[in-house]
Amino acid sequence: MTGEKREISVQVNAARHALSVDPGRMLLDVLRAELGLNGPKYGCGLAQCGACTVLVHGVPARSCLLRMHRVEGAEITTLEGLAAPDGTLHPVQEGFLKAQGAQCGYCLNGMVMTSVALLRRTPDPSEAQIRDALRHNICRCGAHVEIIASVRAAAKLMQAADD
Amino acid sequence: MTLTLTRATPRGAETFLVVHADGTATGFNGHVDLGTGITTALAQIVAEELDLPLGSVTMTLGDTAQTPDQGPTIASETIQVTARPLRTAAAQAHAWLRAAAALRLNAPPEALHSADGHFLHGDTSLPYAELLREPVVLELDPDHPVKDPASYRVVGASAPRHDLPAKLTGNFDYIQDVRVPGMVHGHVIRPPYAGRDSGDFIGHSLLGYDESAISGRDGYLGVHRIGDFLAVLATHAHIARQLAEALPVDWALPPDLPDMEEAAQTIRAQPSTPRLCEASGDIDTALQEGTRLDRSYSWPWHMHGTLGPSCAVADWNGGRPPGWAGTQNPHMLRGDLALLVELPEEAIEIRRHQAAGCYGRNCADDVAGDALLLSRACGKPVSVQLTRAQEMLWEPKGAAQIMDVSGSLRDSAFHGYRFDSWYPSNRGPNLALLLTGRISPEPRPSDMGDRTIIPPYRVPHKQITVHDMAPIVRASWLRGVSALPNTFAHESFVDELAAEAQEDPVAFRLRHVDDPRQARLIRETAEKAGWEPRRTPRLKRDGRMAYGQGFAFATYVHGPFPGLAAAAAAWVADVAVDTETGEVTLTRVAVGQDQGLVINPEGVRQQIHGNVIQTAARVLREEVSFDAISVSDRSFADYPVASFDQLPEIRTHVIADPADPPLGTGESAAVPAAAAIANAIWDATGVRMRHAPFTPEKMREALGHAPRPAALPGPEKPRRRNLKLIGLMGSAAAVFGLGLSLLPGMRAIAPATPPAAGIYTADTLQRGADLFALGNCASCHTAEGGAPSAGGRAIETPFGTVYSTNLTPDGETGMGRWSYTAFARAMRQGISRDGRHLFPAFPYTSFTRMAEDDLQALYAYLQTLEPVRNAIPEAQMALPRAALAGWNLLDLKTGTLSPDPARNAEWNRGRYLVETVGHCSACHTPRNALGAEREVAALAGAEVNGWYAPPLAGRVPGGWSEDQLRAYLSTGVAAGRAAASGPMAEVIAGLSTLPPADIAAMATYLATLGTGQPAALTQRVMPPPGRMSRIYDSACASCHEPVFADSATVAQVPLGTSPALRAPSPQTAEKVIAEGLLAPEGTALHDMPAFARELPAADIAALARYLRSRYAPDLPAWE
Repeated sequence: MTGEKREISVQVNAARHALSVDPGRMLLDVLRAELGLNGPKYGCGLAQCGACTVLVHGVPARSCLLRMHRVEGAEITTLEGLAAPDGTLHPVQEGFLKAQGAQCGYCLNGMVMTSVALLRRTPDPSEAQIRDALRHNICRCGAHVEIIASVRAAAKLMQAADD
Repeated sequence: MTLTLTRATPRGAETFLVVHADGTATGFNGHVDLGTGITTALAQIVAEELDLPLGSVTMTLGDTAQTPDQGPTIASETIQVTARPLRTAAAQAHAWLRAAAALRLNAPPEALHSADGHFLHGDTSLPYAELLREPVVLELDPDHPVKDPASYRVVGASAPRHDLPAKLTGNFDYIQDVRVPGMVHGHVIRPPYAGRDSGDFIGHSLLGYDESAISGRDGYLGVHRIGDFLAVLATHAHIARQLAEALPVDWALPPDLPDMEEAAQTIRAQPSTPRLCEASGDIDTALQEGTRLDRSYSWPWHMHGTLGPSCAVADWNGGRPPGWAGTQNPHMLRGDLALLVELPEEAIEIRRHQAAGCYGRNCADDVAGDALLLSRACGKPVSVQLTRAQEMLWEPKGAAQIMDVSGSLRDSAFHGYRFDSWYPSNRGPNLALLLTGRISPEPRPSDMGDRTIIPPYRVPHKQITVHDMAPIVRASWLRGVSALPNTFAHESFVDELAAEAQEDPVAFRLRHVDDPRQARLIRETAEKAGWEPRRTPRLKRDGRMAYGQGFAFATYVHGPFPGLAAAAAAWVADVAVDTETGEVTLTRVAVGQDQGLVINPEGVRQQIHGNVIQTAARVLREEVSFDAISVSDRSFADYPVASFDQLPEIRTHVIADPADPPLGTGESAAVPAAAAIANAIWDATGVRMRHAPFTPEKMREALGHAPRPAALPGPEKPRRRNLKLIGLMGSAAAVFGLGLSLLPGMRAIAPATPPAAGIYTADTLQRGADLFALGNCASCHTAEGGAPSAGGRAIETPFGTVYSTNLTPDGETGMGRWSYTAFARAMRQGISRDGRHLFPAFPYTSFTRMAEDDLQALYAYLQTLEPVRNAIPEAQMALPRAALAGWNLLDLKTGTLSPDPARNAEWNRGRYLVETVGHCSACHTPRNALGAEREVAALAGAEVNGWYAPPLAGRVPGGWSEDQLRAYLSTGVAAGRAAASGPMAEVIAGLSTLPPADIAAMATYLATLGTGQPAALTQRVMPPPGRMSRIYDSACASCHEPVFADSATVAQVPLGTSPALRAPSPQTAEKVIAEGLLAPEGTALHDMPAFARELPAADIAALARYLRSRYAPDLPAWE
């Protein structure tokens, strides 16, 4: 896993970074330790829990398993990149606020990032579709009911904004 | 200026409340927020008594320098117990402010109204801020009157969580996010006795380690060891982990655990001390009267399974260390740390940060000890982040528990009840104290097995005993503590008595309950849930599905016996049981809960939901596994928790009487879970489940199914966890009996200085580079971690190990003194420059048919490589090199490949590339006993060094189109068809640089090799659910049945197309699971994580066989 450092450029939340890193180092580690982005969380390192989810070119990916050389030139969005530059929350963040979609909140990053991608593809998901989309994201506290309600609230907010 | 409410203690004044100069307030509480939202509820209490807007109140929880010592945050007692002085302090502060306002407004105090931080009198409004002219400190008066709950406005109204906005934007500092200037990173290395805490070997098992193996590496700062505490310090967390994993460490193996398969017997056999909790009447006689039932119930070990592995930071700070921790018990932790580093408690400050939800005592305190030891060692702030495996292996588990029950029913009444409970658990002594030997590793019993041990029913003859005992593996409190298993037994047993009495189980309970609040809870919950009274199990069936409903209730009692009652909760559970697979689905839960005054109704509802979902998973699927010496679950793979696809519908019915004091709600709704589900299964199937969890395999057994088919053997428990992976292919006999020594030796070709690369044209060099890539020369000729193409890679063959040649033009160790003649002879005849035969692991049998100008181009290109000095070890083979002369006579077909006139140029070009320089047959053609490719089975698929190279010719399952081959050969991926792995992924990395015309030519040729109809890919079948399906669902499905198929981290083709699962033997599948896949740069391939460190070898073997039977059911099962 250790390798010679080399420059790898990525775009994270609209900022371009040229990072001198071990190309085998995991994106999650680089986002947190080098870029100070604490939204993505370390949960398992095995793509089992989803706490580390980021969007790569708009598609959810588990950053705990994504080596840096695989994201060379990629466009990455983290939880920190969802809100507008003026601080206005993304409708999915608003939805989670509205329906109080968390207990401890450690899984929140994965739930929110996955929901953002879900709602882009399926703007008005049924409860079954929401459950299906989040089935590989673990919430140990059992906030599932509130999380589903949050995604529905987010879908409504997004539809209202479109109308 | 401020108004402060304090309480004098022998350690000095403790602060409960500060009203600031601006009129806002801060409350202080020694408990912490475990993610339950208690911060918000406590702020509501302060805002209510002070008549402040909720937004004007902040809370400080758990910091030892600022908050009162109110014990650990356990037993859901924050609101019930520790909020009391806070409420009183707020009321007292409000009274002081009122008096001050009355003076200012010249009005009697009782004539003033207050709201939103102002006192109002007539038209005058006076903000609190104006009353705080000078600092005032008041001693807390515990008897100061508080508000009448009838007038509450803030308490009792739902309030949004304080911490959510920051958590939603990534701006919240969890303990894992704490960074301190100058901080370095420690990675701990734990002993092999994972999860054990007693026995002489604890603290004495580390035999040694070889620091020199890592000490020179970048970022290395040191190794620190005390007893069995061992850690690596480095500048970065990822480096600390890499170095820790690379450090050779020698441990003594611990003695075996007792038999954890037969946990019930093991637990009963451990030393324990009976403690009589209640005795009434004459139990021995009563059990002889009427109908007697004897039952035994068991509960497994459970994980807290926190989503965020524990983390802590400490800064030695010259002996006045602050420690940042996610602890449940800041004050207790401070005491432990003081003992650990021999400082007075006052010298240490714990700054508490929220962690991921813990539900009890996880590794949060242990890692704080780790960080402090390391900070003391290096004098810098140190952060320690545990891995998922470390957290799961070492967290003090929720303890297993055995409940033996005898009872009697006389004249349809509950007559006698004898209850014995064994609970091997304690309060989880800090791991750092044990590993360093600061405390002795003696067994430490505790007294927490008695929670809710007294049944809520009127029984004239009772004998209730708890057997206090030490843990067998580290165990401590987990949500519901012993009350959950005790209630499983009570409420299952009373259900059996009701059935024995042929009475509706709810009616039977009501007839035996004296407490009117409990009776109301039972009645209302049953009513709201639409309880259908029955005297016998209803056995509702629809085809193979059976449906049932069950009831259970309990009052969660916590604290030292006889304890304090928290909220009472009742469940009506609806289940669907698949009588074929044994799967139990919890379809609906109606929960009634009586907790008196409610502070935050939405918060309470959320706690109920969380308890239901988490506990349902504990009851239906969760169970810690062990190998011979330790806990063996390292990730969610073999310890699956609740998921979105198994959610029951949840209805809540909250009984909230503001006149009743608030009771704890954090755990109560969990407590009736197991019995309610077991009772529902009984109603559906007539089967009593007395041993949790109620897995499909246990359910099938209870329903009388035969054990699962032999094709899916369960994993055997290994004596020792074996991390060694499959090594060599099975050794084949060396069968060279030819009198080869009679054959002439080959002459050496004199060393020569090759022409300089500059004499070749750019076209020639490019052609050579392409051939070099196509032949994937660099892969075999580069050692792991070695310089490119400098040789030395060990290549295992059935006849021994050979080491690849150094291809770089180094004069002494490489090919710097090889003439073209020598090179061409090696390529065509397999003879080295010095005349020695090369072993046919070097595929000269393919290269021999290359065109002359291609060989020249390749030779030219080799001259352009950077010379690297790298001497190559001698081969370790079971046969002499001379024997190869005879082998060549039999198996070497020389002469260049001539085109097939019936085919076009592109096809012939493809054939040439595939069959000569591409040497595809080296892996894809099976070999005979002499190790030679079997011509009749050319490209028919073969297993090489643990990898299966699938058939390219003959019957090719799934078939290949030219387009698919083009995509596959150039990127590694043919969408929906195949993704390269193992050695083929390295081949693709070479092919990806080739001119598209060459790729197209190979695709054209290869597409013509498959004969007959492409085999339709088989439909998957579902083997019966069990341990392997659970591992698949929690460890494999997120990538292999992805939600977003275009994600950068998911599998690129369905498992049904995987050649590894269609191979003759499981070795490829096992190898991929164990070692994972690392996509070479230059390909479009994805990675797969390695599971060798995550799953026991027996599980990896069983998982491969499970996948075979699920995804290749048309092929014979693997033995």
